Amino acid sequence: MNIFMREMKAYRKSLFIWSVGILFLIGASMAKYAGLSTTGQSMNEILTAMPKSLQAIMGTGALDISKVSGYFGVLYIYLLLMATMHAAMLGATIIAKEERDKTAEFLFVKPVSRTSIICAKLSVAVVNIVMLNIVAGISSLYLVGTYSEGESVKADIILAMSAMLILQLLFLTIGSAIAAISKKPKLAVAISTGILLMTYILSIAIDLNKKLTLLKYLTPFKYFEAKIVMNGGGLERKFIILSLSIVIIFSLITFVFYRKKDLQV
Amino acid sequence: MNIIEINHLTKTYGHARGIVDVSFQVKEGEIFGFIGPNGAGKSTTIRTLLALIHPTSGSAKIFGKDCIDFAPDIAKEIGYLPSEVFYYDNMKVSDLLKYAASFYKKDCRTRMKELVEIMELDTTKKIDDLSLGNKKKVGIVQGLLHEPKLIILDEPTSGLDPLMQQRFFDLLIEENKKGATILFSSHILGEVQRLCDRVAIIKEGKIVTVEKISNLRENNYKKIKIEADNASDNAFVSIAGVNNLNVDGNLISFIFKGDINTVMTKIADMEITNIWIEEPDLEEIFMHYYESED
Repeated sequence: MNIFMREMKAYRKSLFIWSVGILFLIGASMAKYAGLSTTGQSMNEILTAMPKSLQAIMGTGALDISKVSGYFGVLYIYLLLMATMHAAMLGATIIAKEERDKTAEFLFVKPVSRTSIICAKLSVAVVNIVMLNIVAGISSLYLVGTYSEGESVKADIILAMSAMLILQLLFLTIGSAIAAISKKPKLAVAISTGILLMTYILSIAIDLNKKLTLLKYLTPFKYFEAKIVMNGGGLERKFIILSLSIVIIFSLITFVFYRKKDLQV
Repeated sequence: MNIIEINHLTKTYGHARGIVDVSFQVKEGEIFGFIGPNGAGKSTTIRTLLALIHPTSGSAKIFGKDCIDFAPDIAKEIGYLPSEVFYYDNMKVSDLLKYAASFYKKDCRTRMKELVEIMELDTTKKIDDLSLGNKKKVGIVQGLLHEPKLIILDEPTSGLDPLMQQRFFDLLIEENKKGATILFSSHILGEVQRLCDRVAIIKEGKIVTVEKISNLRENNYKKIKIEADNASDNAFVSIAGVNNLNVDGNLISFIFKGDINTVMTKIADMEITNIWIEEPDLEEIFMHYYESED
């Protein structure tokens, strides 16, 4: 419990900054929407006139951005990117930092097993990503609701946020597993964010090239897409199962590898 | 009873050598020195004992239990001071000490207060703002506040001023009298000689010898340097126990082992301008052990 409290305190500031970032992203985007919605259909026409590749990169694709649900769908991709980035970095640092900051010789000679240390740290990380998710969820519900003009988006937003939480968990455990395996603790964060960006780019590539569709299993960004979720498509069960299996596998990897690890001090 | 029992412990890092076939025992109530030059494998051995790293082969027992399998259990009664102290920078000293104490299921407050006073530690400061010596003091307090049965120290004196070093040694002697066993690693022969009952000497990952300090004393080596106007080595060549004799201008230097009086009477007969008699450094002691092996 002491490690849990200590880590909660250590990540207070970082969580606050990320929350402000998320809040700003949603606030600024919705303010833009206020301007955009008055131009009516014309914005949509400009977007559809753009090359398909550009649409894919911007994440608009099949979304009708003149409607608030469609607009939020585009915003959601950036929210997702930010939240998963936070999760991957958090997962990697919370595990790797004792070695990176050379405090391992303090913590790991105390009468606690490595398993319980990792348990406490991962719990803190989960609490942090859930809190960031709640911040994103509440501010989306509130700010999007302001512009919804009768369009019912609440259920879709809640669904999108649950999908986001699953992906946050997924990247959190990827980050922690990499930190547990990596022999160079300083590289753990770089590798985890690198993997995140690669899977994101892959998801864009799949949008651009139909032949790559089968690769969608390799990139979590394809598991729960805004254009499906926001259009009432819900979350696909097979991807929920796939995501949660990945979460379990990477958590196990974190525990197993960290227990056998030679700590760098 | 043996508090520490190390059996054929080997640790290699890829191709790099760590330690090879290290074995020794530390008895209950002993102050045991562990001495060797930097990079000889002292820290590797200690980190294996503390289960920070895992042995490639061999094993070690502390309090009769395997040091890897029962690490959290053993750790309850171990106090450890690493050679370089690093703590959470943005924490206050008092918070860090409380955090350290929170891992032990006993009330450490009284002892913590005493130690803070002895080491003259300012607990209101942030770790970040502390000098190396003060960080070391934090290390000492957090390592001893739970009154451990086994104290493991890895080059503990670096960064401490002589006064604090003395207080720290007094503290260790006091803990030892109360029953604590101490493993004291160092590359400074003097401090080990002052404190320890027995020493293990390690070089290039291997234990060269495990000796009583009193035996080392009998092998008392002196490094003698004499400045004289008409220097020649004639006077000393014939004395048994003179090694590495060297004449450079009007400087004569050699290493001597044996009855110091035989050399002193020779020197008394000479007209000298200056004299230095020093403890040889550790390397020179090691040379003795390697020579005697050949």
